[in-house]
Amino acid sequence: MNGLAVARSSGMPGSGARARVPSFLIAAAVLVAAGFAVPLLVGSQLALTLMTQAVIYAILAVSIGFLIRQNGLASFGHAAFFGMAAYLMALNGRFGWMPAEAAVLAAVALPAAFAFLTGLIIVRLPALSFSMLTLAVAQSLHELMLRWRAVAGGDDGMAVRLPSRLFGVGIEVFQSPATMFVVCWGALVVVIALLTVVARSRFGVLTIAIRENEERTRYVGYRTLAPRALVFALSAAAAGLAGVLFSLYNAFVTPGILHWSLSGEALIMAVVGGAQAVWGPALGAMIFFIVKDAAGDLTEHWPAIIGTLLIAVTVLLPQGISGLLARVAAIAPRRKP
Amino acid sequence: MIQIINGLVYGSFLYVLAVGLVLIFGLRRVTNFAHGGFFMLGAYVSYAAAAWLGFWAGMAASVVVLAFLGVLLDRFVFRPLAREEPIVTLLVTFGLLFVLEDAVRTIWGKDFISVDAPAALAGSVVIFGSQYPVYRLFVIAVAVAVAAALAVWLRSSRIGLYVRASSVDPVTTAMQGVDTDRLSALVVAIGTGLAGLSGTIAGPLMALSPSMGAYIIIDCFIVVVTGGLTSFVGAFVAALVIGQFHNLGLAYVPEVASVIPLLIMGLVLGLRPQGIAGHGK
Repeated sequence: MNGLAVARSSGMPGSGARARVPSFLIAAAVLVAAGFAVPLLVGSQLALTLMTQAVIYAILAVSIGFLIRQNGLASFGHAAFFGMAAYLMALNGRFGWMPAEAAVLAAVALPAAFAFLTGLIIVRLPALSFSMLTLAVAQSLHELMLRWRAVAGGDDGMAVRLPSRLFGVGIEVFQSPATMFVVCWGALVVVIALLTVVARSRFGVLTIAIRENEERTRYVGYRTLAPRALVFALSAAAAGLAGVLFSLYNAFVTPGILHWSLSGEALIMAVVGGAQAVWGPALGAMIFFIVKDAAGDLTEHWPAIIGTLLIAVTVLLPQGISGLLARVAAIAPRRKP
Repeated sequence: MIQIINGLVYGSFLYVLAVGLVLIFGLRRVTNFAHGGFFMLGAYVSYAAAAWLGFWAGMAASVVVLAFLGVLLDRFVFRPLAREEPIVTLLVTFGLLFVLEDAVRTIWGKDFISVDAPAALAGSVVIFGSQYPVYRLFVIAVAVAVAAALAVWLRSSRIGLYVRASSVDPVTTAMQGVDTDRLSALVVAIGTGLAGLSGTIAGPLMALSPSMGAYIIIDCFIVVVTGGLTSFVGAFVAALVIGQFHNLGLAYVPEVASVIPLLIMGLVLGLRPQGIAGHGK
C-alpha cells in the first residue's frame, strides 16, 4: 500500500504527467525568475540577509529530502556534510593547502566521497540504525571541532579567510546579501534541476525500486548497494555545497553548524515541504524561516509553534506541502485516472 | 572502583529509560523522540507532586500520569499514523518533544532545579573504603527490579508472550489473532510509565531542566540501536556497557567522553549490523 501511494505521488512518468509538463515548466520558470528579481524588489538588508540564509538552508533541506525520496532513509547528521565543507573552507583559508577555487570543489567532493565510502557500510542497516549512525558521525565531528581549540578555535569558531577574488569575481559578491542571494538562488535552482534529472533517470527509478523492495530488485539482477551509497553521496555533495555557500557568506564557522539541532531543523524543513517532490524541501525551508521569524518576533514560544506546525503538517499532510500542491495541480486540469 | 559503580549507576538509569523505548519500538516500530520529552516531564511531575506528597508519592504520580499520556500517545498518534512511513511518526514525536519542552519551560521556568534524595535514601554508606551515596545504589536496585519484573512478565504471562511475538514480527502476530492495537496501548503506557519512573529517579542524580530530555534521548537511542532495537536483553547489556564506558570516559578523558557511546555503537554495528542481540533481518 505504501508502494502504491509512492508511485502515484513521486512523479512516475505516467499518462497524466505528460500533459501537465508545459504548464508546470512555465510555473517553474516564473518562480525561478521571480527569485532572481528578489534583490531588486526587497530593499531591506535585514530581510535579504534572512532570505539568503533561508536559501542556503533550503539547499541543505533539498539534500536531505533527496535522500528520503530515493533511499527512504532519514539522515540525522546532515549537518556533518554541511559543516565538513564549511570547516574545510575555513581550514584551507588558514593553512593555504590549495587555491580557494580548488577548495570550493574539494569541499563538495570530500563530503560526497566520505558519504559514499561510509554509505557502502551503513545504508544496509535498519533505518533507525542508519539515522543514529549519521547522527554519531555528525556529533563526533562536532565534538572534535569543539575540542580543537588550537586550530579550529573550539567553541568560539574560526574566521574563514578568503582571497579578494574568487572564480574571477570580487569576494564582496559572496558577502553582500543582495548579490549573494542571487548566487545562492542560482545554486538552489541548479541543485534542484540536477537532482530532478537524476531522480527521473533510470538510476533514480532503480533506487526507488530498491527502496521499495531491496531483495526483489536484487533478484531481478541489479546491484543494490552501490546505487544507495551513490544517492547518499549525491545528497552529501549538495549539503556540502550549502556548507560552502554558508562559509563564503558568513566568513565564520562555529561548531554549531555541526550540531544535531541543525540536522534536525533541516529534516523538519524537508518533511514539512514534502520530500516526494525534489523541490518540496526548499519550500519547507522558506516556510520554516518565515514561521521562525514571525514567531520569534511575537512570542518566545517559538519551539512550541514550530513543534505544533510539524505535528499538524505531518499528520494532516503526510506528503508535505508540496504533496498537497501536487495533488491540487493534478486535480485542476483533469481528473486523475 | 567507585568509578565503576558510578558507571553502573548511569548504565542502570539508561536501561530504565531505554527499555521503555524498546517496548514501544517492538510493538509499534516507531522512533519515539517524545520519549525524551516524557522523561523530562516525568521528572517535573514528580518534582511538583513531591512538594506536597513526598518523594514516593511523587514517583507514583509521575508513573501514573505518564502512563496515561502514553495511552493518549498511542491512541491519537501511533495508531492513526501506523500506515504512514515511519518517518512521519518520528517527526510528529519530534514536534511533541518541542511542545513538551516549551510547556515545561513555561510552567516551571528554564532554570536548573535540583532535587534532594528522599530522607530514607539520603545518607551514604562505606564501600571499598570510601563514602558512597545510598541513593545511587537505589538507582541500581530500581533497574534490577525493572529488569526482573519485565523478564518475569514477558516470559510467563500471555500478554508477555504477545509482546515478545510482536517484537519479532508485528504483522504475523496480528494475523494470528492478537489485537495489537489494544496490546500496544498497554505496552506504550508501560513504556512511557518507565519514562516517568526514570525521570523521577533522575531528579536527585542530575539537575532538572527543560532540555534534559533532548540531551538524554540521544544516548538512549544509541543504547536501543546498539542493543538490537527490539531486544530487551540487548538493551540491558548495551545500557550497562555504554553507561560504564561513558562514565570512565568522563573520569579519565573528559575531552572525548561524549563521543564514546557513539564510537561503541559504530563499533558494534560495524561488526554486527543487527546489534548485540538483534534479530537478523
